[in-house]
Amino acid sequence: MAATKAFLAGTFLLFVLVALSLSVGAQGFGWGDGGTLVMLRSPRVLAALAAGLALGIGGAAQQGVFRNPLADPGLTGVFGGALFGIALLLGLSPESAWQRAWFIPAAAFGGALGTSVLLVLCGGGGSTSRLLLTGLGLNAFTAAGTLVIASRSGESRELLTNGAYGDWLGMATVELTWLPVLLCLSAAFLLLPLARSLDLLSFGEDAARGFGADVGSARRKAVFLTALAAAAATCLVGQVAFIGLLAPHLARALVGPRHAKVLPLSGLLGAILLLGADTAGRGLWPQAPLSAAAVTAVIGAPLFIWIARGRHE
Amino acid sequence: MSDALVKVLGLGVEIGGRRIVDGVSFSADGGQVVAVIGPNGSGKTTLLRALAGLLPASGDLLVADADPRETSAEKLSRHRAYCAQKPGSAWDYRLSDLGEIVGNPLGYEDWLAKLQLGACIDRTLSSLSGGEQKSAHLAMTFASLIEPFGGVLLLDEPAAALDLGRQEAVRLAVASFAQAGAACVVATHDLGFARRCDLVVVLSEGRLAAIGRPGDVLDAEIISAVWGESASAIA
Repeated sequence: MAATKAFLAGTFLLFVLVALSLSVGAQGFGWGDGGTLVMLRSPRVLAALAAGLALGIGGAAQQGVFRNPLADPGLTGVFGGALFGIALLLGLSPESAWQRAWFIPAAAFGGALGTSVLLVLCGGGGSTSRLLLTGLGLNAFTAAGTLVIASRSGESRELLTNGAYGDWLGMATVELTWLPVLLCLSAAFLLLPLARSLDLLSFGEDAARGFGADVGSARRKAVFLTALAAAAATCLVGQVAFIGLLAPHLARALVGPRHAKVLPLSGLLGAILLLGADTAGRGLWPQAPLSAAAVTAVIGAPLFIWIARGRHE
Repeated sequence: MSDALVKVLGLGVEIGGRRIVDGVSFSADGGQVVAVIGPNGSGKTTLLRALAGLLPASGDLLVADADPRETSAEKLSRHRAYCAQKPGSAWDYRLSDLGEIVGNPLGYEDWLAKLQLGACIDRTLSSLSGGEQKSAHLAMTFASLIEPFGGVLLLDEPAAALDLGRQEAVRLAVASFAQAGAACVVATHDLGFARRCDLVVVLSEGRLAAIGRPGDVLDAEIISAVWGESASAIA
């Protein structure tokens, strides 16, 4: 019952936010003549919705796989890897990077999957500090790599810097967003069937296998699809931490820890949070809008400290 | 021997270059309860994990007509249930969630009641004591073996953290699984429980120190040889 209420309230809130987000712009509040402004803003709104959905579900899946409530693709370096992948492509071959719609998403996915595999190999095993320290290292390495490439390639410099600050939603067009949006939705949808395996994994690898879960397969799928979700979301927003942390925490607080409820509700809350952050960043300061990542960090960073503190105690 | 639900011949397990279990052999038919006893670090948990298919092992191994090393976890779980020594959960589930997670909510509620946790069904794991949490996990394990006949129940120190009432409830549960035709292998430090089993396997430093009926194995000489002189008084 609590779950039904949460989903209904969340869906209602999302509709309100979509309407609000389509109405807010640099020129003030309104839909323009014949809805022209709505048409202009809709790719951005759709991109924020899809990225938020993927990040929410991806964060919940990553926390489930690592059995760790502090896992988040932003904090564990997977976003950094995705942006580094894009930076590598732009740095090595700036002319051809935009020739095909899938080049940028593929580069992001390569980077995200690479960091995910390193995270599993070096940071897996249950200890929070090991996971976060590995994530810290991966984040530092990929950020440095992205910075080096950005400083060497004049034309991509601003683009990559904006990506690092999670400020790409503003350039959303149908041509740029259709494939990442599709990938976000696919990754989110394909993560849902892993709910029971993630529940069983909660009791440890032995118990999960004892109860019949194919742990290796579930883990591989979750890591692959979380990397895909993070990569596709990065193509739409740039780096945005904390959505994957906040959404699952809120979802668990509302409906308990069962992944069959947490995964979809995290997706819904992720979409609400990212769209809400983007709308707030644009609506509150129309002349100098804040990026969605900056707004989510303002809320997310204190919450991260609060969760880490509670866990420590 | 051919009808045995658990057949172990020359079982060896090596972890990190160290031989934890070495050349252990025994078998158990349906309806039998086997106690695996031995000092701390003697290889009881490793033996049970190998039987459950959770560790690579050498030697011949058959559990519920399947080699756990070559059978998928999903297929194994239909005829074999395993409860770890110290189960824990990363998330704070309600007890009512656990039956659904294990795929047998009604059976789970039934076992919760038998383990004196029926009134706690709406409580979360973190609100329970260590012994109650272990009981909730045991209920999951029992509920997961939906068809006991021809199945194998593997329990690692199931009663270690439990109060007297729940210890008795676990004994009754094991007896009921055996009566229904399952083979039960239980690692334990409880010699009182071991005395009531059909077979006692004594491990010492990973090797078989003694094997046989409780009356033959649990004597002062063997206990003193395995646990030391000071323990012989409990024989």
